[in-house]
Amino acid sequence: MLSVEQLEKRRQVAGVFIVVGLVVEALCLIWSTPITFVIFVAIGGFLMFVGIVLYLYSLVPDLKAPV
Amino acid sequence: MLHATVLILSLILFSAVVISVLIARPAITATRGGKILAFVAMFCLPIFCGLLGVSKEMARSKSTTFCLSCHTMDGYGKSLYVDDPTHLPASHFQNHRVPADEACYSCHTNYAMFGGLKVKLYGLKHVAIYYLGTPPAPENIKLYEPYNNRECLHCHLGARSFEEGVVHNADPATLPAIKSNQLSCLSSGCHEIAHDLGHMKDAKFWKAGK
Repeated sequence: MLSVEQLEKRRQVAGVFIVVGLVVEALCLIWSTPITFVIFVAIGGFLMFVGIVLYLYSLVPDLKAPV
Repeated sequence: MLHATVLILSLILFSAVVISVLIARPAITATRGGKILAFVAMFCLPIFCGLLGVSKEMARSKSTTFCLSCHTMDGYGKSLYVDDPTHLPASHFQNHRVPADEACYSCHTNYAMFGGLKVKLYGLKHVAIYYLGTPPAPENIKLYEPYNNRECLHCHLGARSFEEGVVHNADPATLPAIKSNQLSCLSSGCHEIAHDLGHMKDAKFWKAGK
């Protein structure tokens, strides 16, 4: 079973991925050229996807924990 | 459009700030309220922001300025201002027969089922060629398939000028042939001048607002 610190660490890493993904998406919305759509989806979307999956994965030990 | 961008950017900023607080103080998520806040901030809000952003980018990719932002398209953009009513794209653009801010997309989309998706994939291919390959010379750019009358009829079908047009009704077989795409609106010799880049040097141009 993971310690509280390890779980918090996972959520922090997930949070960093999501924030960086959000920043990329915000920049793409401001800077309007055809390449920004590709960056928006490929980089911003990928970072956010990784962050969300990491966050959801960090919840699994919580679900396993006795209620 | 600008208000929508500001709203999405505000939501992204808000999400980023809340997540940053959770990163700086992870102990917040130990409580039940903190867990709910983390779920909203790290799952619901990013997905919502992403969907809004995709929707915004999709809408923007239809704009005339977006299409003309590649240098390869300069001549095509210029051709919208040719002062000649027989020049099909120019007459449509200048007379607002298509929305001026979505002029390219209105005529070059595909009005069939999943046609919008098909043209977006073509757009991605154009971006890949533009940045990673060798774009063809503007005058060598060709359509992927012959222009389908369906795109014209999306607006003109049922319009009096089309249905009762003298030339369209000169022969009773003409109108059904146009509607079934057997007689092309463009290549049949009736409305054949579209983006005539070869004669742009000699063309006169309309100056909007004069």
